[in-house]
Amino acid sequence: MFPPCLNRFLASICWALIFGAVLSINAAPVRDPAAAGNDCVACHKGDDPKAQSPLPAKHKSTKTMKLADCFDCHEKRTDDTLITKLTGSHLHQLAGVSCVDCHGSSGKPAPVEMEQCLSCHKSGEKVAALTAKLKPQNPHFSAHYNSDLDCNLCHHQHQKSENYCSECHRWDFKVP
Amino acid sequence: MTKVEDKTAVPGRRQFLQTSGIAAGAALSTMAAPLTARAGSCDAVPQSWDQTTDVLIVGTGFAGLTAAIEARLAGAEVLVIDKMPVHGGNSIINGGDFCAAGTPMQKEAGITDSPELMYQDMLKAGAYLNHPELARTVAFESAKTLEWAQQFAGVQFSRVGYHGGHSVKRAHQTINASGSELVNKFMKKAKELGVKVETRTKLTRVITAPDGRVVGLEVRKGYRFPDESTGTKTFIKARRAVVLAAGGFSRNVQLRQLYEPRLTDRFESTNHPGATGEAIIEACKVNAMNVQMDWIQLGPWTSPDEKGFGNVPLFCERLVGYAPMINPKTGKRFFKETGNRKERADAIIALGDPVLIFGDHATVTRQVFPAVLEKALESGAIRKFNSLDEIAAAYSIPLAPFKEEVARFNGFVEKKKDTDFDCIIFPEATPTVTGPFYVARLWPKVHHTMGGLAIDKNAQVTSLDLKPIPGLFAAGEVTGAVHGAVRLGGVAVADCCVFGRIAGRSAAAEKAWS
Repeated sequence: MFPPCLNRFLASICWALIFGAVLSINAAPVRDPAAAGNDCVACHKGDDPKAQSPLPAKHKSTKTMKLADCFDCHEKRTDDTLITKLTGSHLHQLAGVSCVDCHGSSGKPAPVEMEQCLSCHKSGEKVAALTAKLKPQNPHFSAHYNSDLDCNLCHHQHQKSENYCSECHRWDFKVP
Repeated sequence: MTKVEDKTAVPGRRQFLQTSGIAAGAALSTMAAPLTARAGSCDAVPQSWDQTTDVLIVGTGFAGLTAAIEARLAGAEVLVIDKMPVHGGNSIINGGDFCAAGTPMQKEAGITDSPELMYQDMLKAGAYLNHPELARTVAFESAKTLEWAQQFAGVQFSRVGYHGGHSVKRAHQTINASGSELVNKFMKKAKELGVKVETRTKLTRVITAPDGRVVGLEVRKGYRFPDESTGTKTFIKARRAVVLAAGGFSRNVQLRQLYEPRLTDRFESTNHPGATGEAIIEACKVNAMNVQMDWIQLGPWTSPDEKGFGNVPLFCERLVGYAPMINPKTGKRFFKETGNRKERADAIIALGDPVLIFGDHATVTRQVFPAVLEKALESGAIRKFNSLDEIAAAYSIPLAPFKEEVARFNGFVEKKKDTDFDCIIFPEATPTVTGPFYVARLWPKVHHTMGGLAIDKNAQVTSLDLKPIPGLFAAGEVTGAVHGAVRLGGVAVADCCVFGRIAGRSAAAEKAWS
């Protein structure tokens, strides 16, 4: 296909056209797929409080940070977890997986099928092995569905994730 | 969305009536007058179809999947749809008990049983409202179907247990104490055979030809439960037949209250959230007869301390006939623990507040599946106590009457006869004496809708004119009059699998209309 830089350029034109109108209407953060993941203010900008940077004033500059660096403070040194505060799309972007990497660069971005998740995350069983020690229950394995459920039942990318099991069970999972 | 080209030429109206005339002729001549008034207009059949299959099945539970397998084995092209994002409906969260009469596993365990006895148990519990042919079919096919599940699909069972209302132990429990053992093995087999399965696809209308013959379904693809604005309208042609295996309506508070007003939202349900009964309603719109819709079952073995079905039912049902159920306000028993679901649920509801069931160390370790006990202890739905005094203190039970009642119950256990409430006392039951004791609270939840679409013994849906509807079959909880007033535990699995297979075979045998 196209070289990555051209891909990103085409994607950003496409997205800018689609979301330009949105920007002018409600001043929400701009979805700029060309922005670096750690450059929060590239999207979260403007005088409108709704669009402003989510970082508190005293926060370190994040421009050179990767996701691992964020977690270095947030998971290891403070109780101020980022899980459930950052949507899946942000976690992916910060980890170096851009919008284009999942949605491709042609046409309007459409909801992505589970195969796309598995192209990196391999399989339900592999993911279940990573969370095998969680109590009271491994969220990725159940007597009902084994490890076959669609990732997106819980892990929403562009809105807050949910805990699908909570329909019947009282397990207080923090779902990224 | 892109429309898939229908491979066969779409028949003109005149040609359609001619070619289907022979098949529909007999029905048409006897139904002529009411049909023209009632059937959908010719415009209701789409000009072109987006998808085509031979047998189109609604529902991916026990009934839908067994129907799919049998239809496929009979040579039909099969598509199964489900409105939910996950497969399996209620079947996949079920407790894994398959009642069958006269099996090798029963013989090995020294249990004497017969299909006739199972049939009589079903009738008695059902208050003789069961349609005899339907109940007989389930009882007499149960053992063969269980064997088929084992041999053909590789389903594994570990033991034969008891369920309230049965005369003997005939509940064959899956190795993981879950219906998922059946569902996932059936799904695997179905897919191996080439059955197609599509989730997030919701039935919105049953499509009929002018003569009332069911020809396909209007559905919404990409439906996201419970948002009714989602999904794209799609027409799926069913050349031979449609099979409805869409479950019951326990979760439809409005609909269930129509039939039984006391079932307000005060009563929780054990069912998956999708058990809302639209398929029954849509079938009725194309002239299907419904039966016994008033008979809605509450499970007497659920705990208010857990959501949904939970683990307590698998604790409670392993203790009935071995250990006592107590009204905490009086410290006394109030009903036979081995009664059927309705009588037990009604007895508990009459007391107005949750009751308790508990067993001692010896009984619980012998009877209860370890993982079930462990999980329920973790969640707090089952609590552990060192003595009867501790139990009384925790639940504010009057101590002296309570201790007296437990001693009285133990006396019945020794004599193997309950002279107070005529509960069955099993031969290997031991008195409740050694701590630690395990206690759970019980409060009924809406569990199963015995009523539904009227079917004949071929699983074909009956019309309001009391004739079979061409091209329409149904199996499982969506149907009515198999269980009558009260469904016995473990017999739903039998019903779904027996009639699912029959529906699949009958559907595949329908002559294609196109």
